[in-house]
Amino acid sequence: MLPASPLTPTTDVAALYGDHHSWLLGWLRRKLGGADHAADLAHDTFVRVLSAQARQRELALREPRAYLSTIARNLLISHAQRQALERAWLEAVAQLPIPLAPSPEQRLIVLEALHQIDALLDGLPPRVREAFLLAQLDGLNYAQIADRLDVTDRTIKRYMAQAFAQCIQLMP
Amino acid sequence: MTVDARIAHEAAQWLVRRQAGECDDGALARWRAADPRHEAAWQRAEQVLRTLGRAQGPHGALGAQALRRAGGAGRRAATRLLVALIVAGPAGWAAWRLAPWAGGSASLRTATGERRAITLPDGGHLLLDTASAADIAYGGETRRIVLHQGAIDVRTAPDAAGRPFLVQTPQGTARALGTHFTVRIDERASPPATRVAVAEGAVELRPLHGGGAVRVDAGQQARTTAAAAGPAMPRDPLAGGWTEGVLYAEKMPLGDFIAELARYRSGLLRCDPAVAALPVSGAFQLRDTDAALAALAASLPVRVERRTRWWVSIGPR
Repeated sequence: MLPASPLTPTTDVAALYGDHHSWLLGWLRRKLGGADHAADLAHDTFVRVLSAQARQRELALREPRAYLSTIARNLLISHAQRQALERAWLEAVAQLPIPLAPSPEQRLIVLEALHQIDALLDGLPPRVREAFLLAQLDGLNYAQIADRLDVTDRTIKRYMAQAFAQCIQLMP
Repeated sequence: MTVDARIAHEAAQWLVRRQAGECDDGALARWRAADPRHEAAWQRAEQVLRTLGRAQGPHGALGAQALRRAGGAGRRAATRLLVALIVAGPAGWAAWRLAPWAGGSASLRTATGERRAITLPDGGHLLLDTASAADIAYGGETRRIVLHQGAIDVRTAPDAAGRPFLVQTPQGTARALGTHFTVRIDERASPPATRVAVAEGAVELRPLHGGGAVRVDAGQQARTTAAAAGPAMPRDPLAGGWTEGVLYAEKMPLGDFIAELARYRSGLLRCDPAVAALPVSGAFQLRDTDAALAALAASLPVRVERRTRWWVSIGPR
């Protein structure tokens, strides 16, 4: 368990947890409807609070439910994005004839990698993202991509460097 | 640890040079050795390549396709759906009404763990079970639901035009003669089969490749492969629990139970053959599969091992 001594942030968060965890869990269950990730998301919400800056934590203590629900709402949105990607991936895999379809283990490994890639590419301009996907996942070379997107080879290299630089910075 | 933006950009340019086949390996080695921050950035660059590597290979193009669909427009749609959930917040079901301008056709798909209620263009109701896919095609002659995967629960409404109501699966077609029934594709069966259970009214079940049709009345169920339909039998009263969000089990082998639960859970859920025959009884909430697993561990001599949040296996204790 977390060490608890007076006036440390963890004591505050522990108190916050004790007072509001079951409320937050109920709130998430209502928002999520039929899905079963409410407990995970509630847990992740408190992890975020723990890693937040001191000033933000003060805010959490003053307006706990507003603060917790703001964080939880952001997590809900990424949960919905995660589901959207999973759905799109399963849909893509479903097009394959059965002998070529990946095993459940392979499917999971690729899906996890896709989630990571999705997060690393977040916020890049659409053309940069598209050029990157064509090169890294579709396996086209730079000349083919330049041709397809109707830009110069130099532009493709610039796009690629921009995308790689963001990945390197965002890599957890 | 964070990486300086300038150094990240330099590392990125080395990656680009390598990919373009224009990399001077000696120069790269000198750059890495020149500054520990360079080397740290390069380590991350290699991590990026490893992550990409897991998504590359024979299914790389499919992954790109999924990212395209889920990013951008798909992402906005997911966020919109979520906003709708937050506003509507129905008990356990995300309710969708087909837009009247959709012209009577739509593609529906649920993610793992998701279930969805849909109001059909004629006012009938459809529940889509976890990890299911269906197309709705209402035409001049027929009202047709094409079920590709998973299970649906249907309550038909009378049609002013008198069009027949059909549910088509890869194994055959169920024609509604009445009102309330479920259709489920069982891909684990060999050969794959479609199961129809009727709560009210009656359904005529016809296998894909000719063969005789079977009439299934209220309180009965029947299954068909693509080749032939089996006889109607009394309905398993526990099988329709998913429409209430519950998985009912009565002395169900643990292996079957886990396979059923896995349909509602993202990631992998595996059962060790050593414990697959243990009988499970009880009612389990599908919205909280973690609680169901905890209940198993408490009542059976099994252990729930979490390799990651997305990879859980059940084995002997």
